[in-house]
Amino acid sequence: MGETARERGRRRGQGELEATVLTALHAAPGPVTAAWVRERLGGGLAYTTVVTILTRLLAKRAVTREKAGRSFVWTPAADAAGLAAHRMRQVLDNQSDRGTVLTRFVTGLTDDDEQLLRSLLTQTGEGGRDGGHDRAPHPATGTGSRTGSGTGTEAPGDDAEGKSD
Amino acid sequence: MGFFVLLPLVLPLTSWPVARLAERRLHPRATTRLLVAAGVVLAACSTLCLGLLVVVGTAQLPGNPLPDAWSHPQVRAAVPYDEILGKAAIPALLALVTAGGVTVARHLRVRRRVRRALGGLPPSPVAVLPDSEPYAFALPGNRRTRARVVVTTSLLDALEPAERRALFAHERAHLTARHPLLLLLAELAAVANPFLRPLRTAVTFGVERWADEEAARIVGDRRMTARAVGKAALIARNGPPRSLPALAGAGQVPRRVQALLAPPPTARLWLPPTTAPGLVAGLAAWLAALGAALSALSSANAAVALVVILQAATPL
Repeated sequence: MGETARERGRRRGQGELEATVLTALHAAPGPVTAAWVRERLGGGLAYTTVVTILTRLLAKRAVTREKAGRSFVWTPAADAAGLAAHRMRQVLDNQSDRGTVLTRFVTGLTDDDEQLLRSLLTQTGEGGRDGGHDRAPHPATGTGSRTGSGTGTEAPGDDAEGKSD
Repeated sequence: MGFFVLLPLVLPLTSWPVARLAERRLHPRATTRLLVAAGVVLAACSTLCLGLLVVVGTAQLPGNPLPDAWSHPQVRAAVPYDEILGKAAIPALLALVTAGGVTVARHLRVRRRVRRALGGLPPSPVAVLPDSEPYAFALPGNRRTRARVVVTTSLLDALEPAERRALFAHERAHLTARHPLLLLLAELAAVANPFLRPLRTAVTFGVERWADEEAARIVGDRRMTARAVGKAALIARNGPPRSLPALAGAGQVPRRVQALLAPPPTARLWLPPTTAPGLVAGLAAWLAALGAALSALSSANAAVALVVILQAATPL
């Protein structure tokens, strides 16, 4: 138990360290070395730790690096929020059952749901229009919402009524 | 105790009608609270009775640690089909205790990972993540961290300001009403007795409807809230493909939107609505409450009976 607690603390520490290093990189005037980052952080970390964190950030595509002389210089690709977003996506994608743990605003739609939803949204007076301009790269959805609002308004409503009873 | 010990194992069936009917006829807050309360009582009684069967079953096993007198024929006579039921109850109880532990561990693990992912951000009540995948969820707090709402920029960009207010009101309603806890309880109940699975599905849907109603009340516009839910679902549809929880149940989002476009549900649960379907749903709610009460009585009866018999069988 003690070990897992320590392990937990260590890993959370890593998450915070990654964010701190990224923030330091953002404050840098340009591409900087790991030594610069270490100095910027107050020298509390070992040089190898800083390099390890930078390498991990590189694997997450949160930073980029290029060769400058004998060492690398590092540039941030994402800020702390971007890194958090990246880590969150990993957590959510690994969690096939996330719907039961996290109260998500919306869940998945089947094709039938989508049809029904589009026809419902046209009732609110905005759905059809939004369906058009938000999804400009998807021409099929525009026509789908047209036909859905024209002919399908009654049928899906009755259908859902039947299902819920 | 006779068949009383078996009754709580099947009484969860009384929750089926209300789990099926209540969602659109009664107010989701009252319904969800009722469902969770009934589920917890039914699950606890069912588990208690399974435990009683385990005691009787274990006493029959050679080399068991229980007092020898507990395998007395009188004790075995107290349980119908004691040979089969007693022994079947042992692996069943072990399996459900394990599954319950796994469920709790999974909930805690997901929350921990989500908190860790947010580790580098300032501890604001809302965490906005720059991500092309549109999603939003409520993260409950713990002793060290406060509860917060996590939302991505792509979802916020797709919504108008008033719709964003509805989204945040919805997520905050989850947190203030402790919905994550209710979901965990409902899931544990479904683990304890598989007959409670429809109830868990109804609770999963019920907390979303409850938060929708809260959001609609706070922003003061049901259509606007319906639009926020619908638009968010449609843009999530166009996000990158991923495995979705089968549990989410097809049709949840359209039913939520439909309910928001309809007049607000009556908040009274015990005075059934005047319409016939409302009356049926009200009766279904009563049936579930009755089932829970009956389950509590039978399991209490069975527990007391077994204790009395065991005391009588134990030589002083």
